[in-house]
Amino acid sequence: MKCDEYDVVIVGSGIAGSVMAKTLTRAGKKVLLLEAGLQAGIAMDKEGAYQNYQFYLDTYYKAAAKVPNSPYPNLPDAPSPDVLDIAPIPNSCSPSTKGYLVQAGPIPFASDCYRGPGGTTLHWLGSTPRMLPNDFQMQTKYGVAVDWPFTYYDLMPYYEMAENEIGIAGDVKEQIGPDVEPVKNYGKDYVFPMQKIPQSYLDQTIIEITNGKTVTVELNKKEYTISYVATPQGRNSIPEPAYKYAGVAWNKKTQKLELEKTDAEYDPVGSLWDPYTGQRCEGNSSCVPICPVQAKYNALKTLRTADHDNLDIITQAVASQVLYDKGSMDITGIEYKKYRYGNSPIYEKGIAKGKIYVLAASAIENAKLLLASGIANSSDQVGRNLMDHMVMLTWGLLPKKGFPYRGPGSTTNIPTFRDGDFRKEHAAWISPIDNWGWAWPTFAPGSDVSNAVGQGMFGKQLRDHLSDIIPRQLLLHFECEQLPEPGNRVTIDPRYKDQLGNYRPVIHYNASEYMQRSFEAAKKVSDQLYKAYNVQDFTSYSAQNPDHVQYKGKVYNFAGAGHIVGTHRMGSDSNSSVVNPDQRTWDHGNLYLVGCGNMPTLGTSNPTLTMTALTYKAAEAILKQLEN
Amino acid sequence: MSKFFQKNNPKRQRFVPEDKPDKSLLKGRAMADTAPPDPEEIKKRLLENLQQAIKLEHSTIPPYLCALYSIKDGTNEFAVNTIRSIVVEEMLHMVMAANILNAIGGKPAINTKDFIPGYPTKLPMIDESFIVNLEKFSKASVDIFLQIEKSAEHPEHDGDDYHSIGEFYMAVRRDLIKLNELTNGEIFKGERQPQVTSEQYYGSGGKLIAVYKLEDALEAIDEIVGQGEGIDNTIDDPDQEMFGEDIEYAHYFRFNEIYHGQKYKPTDSVHDDPSGPPVNVDWDAVYNMQLNPKMSDLPEGSPVWQKMYDFNKTYMALLNNIHDACNGQPSLLITGVGLMYDLKYKAIELMKTPFGEEGLMAGPSFEYVQ
Amino acid sequence: MNTNNHATFLTISAYLTGFSETDLLGTGMVDPYYAAIRDNNDPEVLGYFYQEAATILADSHGDEAEINEAIAARLIPDSCYNGIAKTIILLWYTGNYGNDVLSTDSYKEALVWNVAGAHPPGAKQPGYGSWALPPFSV
Ligand SMILES: Cc1cc2nc3c(=O)[nH]c(=O)nc-3n(C[C@H](O)[C@H](O)[C@H](O)COP(=O)(O)OP(=O)(O)OC[C@H]3O[C@@H](n4cnc5c(N)ncnc54)[C@H](O)[C@@H]3O)c2cc1C
Ligand code: SF4
Repeated sequence: MKCDEYDVVIVGSGIAGSVMAKTLTRAGKKVLLLEAGLQAGIAMDKEGAYQNYQFYLDTYYKAAAKVPNSPYPNLPDAPSPDVLDIAPIPNSCSPSTKGYLVQAGPIPFASDCYRGPGGTTLHWLGSTPRMLPNDFQMQTKYGVAVDWPFTYYDLMPYYEMAENEIGIAGDVKEQIGPDVEPVKNYGKDYVFPMQKIPQSYLDQTIIEITNGKTVTVELNKKEYTISYVATPQGRNSIPEPAYKYAGVAWNKKTQKLELEKTDAEYDPVGSLWDPYTGQRCEGNSSCVPICPVQAKYNALKTLRTADHDNLDIITQAVASQVLYDKGSMDITGIEYKKYRYGNSPIYEKGIAKGKIYVLAASAIENAKLLLASGIANSSDQVGRNLMDHMVMLTWGLLPKKGFPYRGPGSTTNIPTFRDGDFRKEHAAWISPIDNWGWAWPTFAPGSDVSNAVGQGMFGKQLRDHLSDIIPRQLLLHFECEQLPEPGNRVTIDPRYKDQLGNYRPVIHYNASEYMQRSFEAAKKVSDQLYKAYNVQDFTSYSAQNPDHVQYKGKVYNFAGAGHIVGTHRMGSDSNSSVVNPDQRTWDHGNLYLVGCGNMPTLGTSNPTLTMTALTYKAAEAILKQLEN
Repeated sequence: MSKFFQKNNPKRQRFVPEDKPDKSLLKGRAMADTAPPDPEEIKKRLLENLQQAIKLEHSTIPPYLCALYSIKDGTNEFAVNTIRSIVVEEMLHMVMAANILNAIGGKPAINTKDFIPGYPTKLPMIDESFIVNLEKFSKASVDIFLQIEKSAEHPEHDGDDYHSIGEFYMAVRRDLIKLNELTNGEIFKGERQPQVTSEQYYGSGGKLIAVYKLEDALEAIDEIVGQGEGIDNTIDDPDQEMFGEDIEYAHYFRFNEIYHGQKYKPTDSVHDDPSGPPVNVDWDAVYNMQLNPKMSDLPEGSPVWQKMYDFNKTYMALLNNIHDACNGQPSLLITGVGLMYDLKYKAIELMKTPFGEEGLMAGPSFEYVQ
Repeated sequence: MNTNNHATFLTISAYLTGFSETDLLGTGMVDPYYAAIRDNNDPEVLGYFYQEAATILADSHGDEAEINEAIAARLIPDSCYNGIAKTIILLWYTGNYGNDVLSTDSYKEALVWNVAGAHPPGAKQPGYGSWALPPFSV
């Protein structure tokens, strides 16, 4: 295509950028997409996509530590935050600078993301529960944090669009828990595109372990009944015959995005290189960091179905500054550095021009770009309110074999503490049952082998020992909702720049007492669950782990969930928020921000589904703006 | 937007002419024009022939799997993808043949001893001009695959057997039409429950057609024949592009690309060999599997014998699974997929296990055990 | 290739891992592991290791208990042969030599997944819905 001025310039090809590009190009708008990662990663032809992905896969096989970013190139010209870089922070004057993120502490931010074509969905897990209605009203209901500028019900049509695009497998009827009822939360007769992903044998083992007796736990003198929900997720399963939506389209007449109906059965979207590969989740059990058959959704699937006649993509182009007119405050261009190879400091500068600009570079990067450009910050909220789910893990051995290390990362969650009056005092949490044994906290099963061999075991004894303990491993997550706090934030500092001279994000991060109380509460619940399940607890926390807190004399460790949220919050007035309900910046009439950075609060859901719903809302607003 | 590969290419099926000229139908034993149209007799013949069809479709699967699994991991990507998708389609054909049989009140028998051919073998119902082996991926074995999928080019002939799979199915097709006519459509029971439906099928081209009436049955047959031979010699439309990235074409042509190490280009004629870009075929990156291995080659109970036995037990479990799925419990096929994978990993283990003579490896024997 | 040492490697590997020789052969990893051990150890120490292993195997005439006892006493202790016996076990079970993944194949053939009733993450996928059932091997 190649034109001088596009309708819209988008930065980033993650799910936010790709959904935006697809929706706009299909509505006939000319779009330019800037992507920081390597050209090879964006290949859409069969051969190129296949070769590139095999390269990722091979890198993964050979990686010693199979962390989320292990399959993907980490480039000095566009570095990715990496969990392997998490290190103790001696004090706030000497931040940890080991990785891309400059961690000023007091505790290190524990999540990563991927800066490359397709973004972080390449290594996301794909769990996609919706948020709860009460999550949108934390101030009104519980007197903490802020309310969203609209309600859950306002977002419902956009949730349906997001569920269509990602391709959710799940059973609406089974969605229950505090503040969730199928009809109330999903509408009558609503179904997901695909039937639910079967719950794992491990899940079933736990659900049935009390022989039909319901499990109750006590917290602050209140009794709670434990329930189990099959988690909706973005990976392919059997098409749901009753699902009748084809895709999202712009209706010029009504000036709205709409889900188009169809009589055809939903067709699971296979891999980039072969439509017949990945039509079902095949149980590779490696969704994080890479699904070998692409049965799991990733953003490249969306980008591929954009209207490429209306789309230009420039890769190896790192957006470094957003330019604006000091008079009108309109954005006039995005300056980017196009590097030659991922590790050479040689680059050429370019300026991308459009009528409207969209930053979709993920929460930390969006905030950093705004700060580096000195824009959109009249509220002083840019970079603030950085949130994540702080994941407290507990692990033990089941009395019988549940055979973990099989299937998607998690197929069932315990929703019991997702909502309740306790949110006035401490964080709510969701508890996914992890299908991958103790891999996360202990590097099992490799560590089980080395421990046993270290003790002198060999031969049949070793084999029997391992086949006794590994299949009995249980890991529970307590993913605690962090609230927005102004001090948890992204800043920039001229002392810290990357090889291309772009700012590195400086992160200030801590766990407030609200969070610490939730760790204490969650541990109490975990203890009672393990007792009810007859599980031998092997959880151990250590102050050596950089991500620890000490509360009432006890140490707790937490991990990051990868849910990087809140750095450019949305709100109903320009004094206290960065974007309006359409996700347009209050300060600049032609600048939109998309991604989890907009979310005023996090809830207990994995954020990407909600963020994608918001992105459709933003796309609708952009189309309206372009046509008027 | 249409730049990308389209699934379920309808053109492929269109290659099969809708109205076969009578001449080509007047072949083989099903066509004995002199016999009076006795519905009972036609039905008997159909029940028999459809059971044979299931057997026939199955009989190609073990040879294709041996070739596929003998290819070393990470090599021959083109051949692997091609053979894999063809095998999945053969399974589709097998299940669709069972669907037709179920639709007219038959009972597919998939787990009996005589269901499994003893390799080397000729194909059930097809004439004796070639022998099918269980053998590794090689130019010779792909040549046999080409013969299996070859389109009907044979002169009229006498005798009971058919010269090609296509010819056999044409006979079945004609009987179905006739019987439907004679019974006023009553022959099709229209029962939902024994039909395996598209829910249970994925992973390759084509679609799984549930059979409730004649039209479904004919569509299913066209799908089977269309995917295999893909083209009838009577059609030669020079304006029609037969090949290209976006076009799914039939098994014969896909094997031919492997054989020649070259793809078809859009302007190639179906009568010629492919002349498009080369593809990498490494005939040496293959486990040196013993030809037509048998459990009886080894002392009973020896470790490798045991491994072959384990493989065959999984194979039987798979056949039992498909049998049950095609006899009223279609949702069982989901477990069948797991068994398929298990079978694959066991087969590959065998191919890495030395077998007697220096340099030869064991392999899957696909034998009936219990 | 020293065929004696190669044979000793296979047999002693079977005793060290608790898997049969045929099972080990079926992974296709005997040769690469033999080579990795050869290339990463002092030839002299390794020579003594194979000598000792061969002696243990020969002296006990296939009596398993006796072999295990001898392995525990004469191969497993860290003081013996630079810990080669443990390295061999870890190699077979994890596919790692030290902290490094030896190869793509070694990752996929690690025995630990087999004893876990599972499969290496990202390889040898067991198919849709398999995780909802106990492993076939059970
Ligand atoms: C291990 C892990 C598991 C997760 N699991 C789940 C889950 O189960 N469910 C869920 O809902 N969420 C999950 N998440 C979160 C989810 O992955 C993210 O919310 C989501 O992918 C964010 O999408 P995005 O498009 O906003 O940003 P990203 O996907 O991060 O994409 C940003 C894009 O912008 C590009 N970019 C960045 N900087 C620049 C620049 N300066 N110039 C040009 N381009 C740039 C990047 O290359 C990238 O393409 C997980 C995250 C992790 C880390
Ligand atoms: S379980 Fe496997 S096939 Fe399924 S989504 Fe995860 S990695 Fe992909």
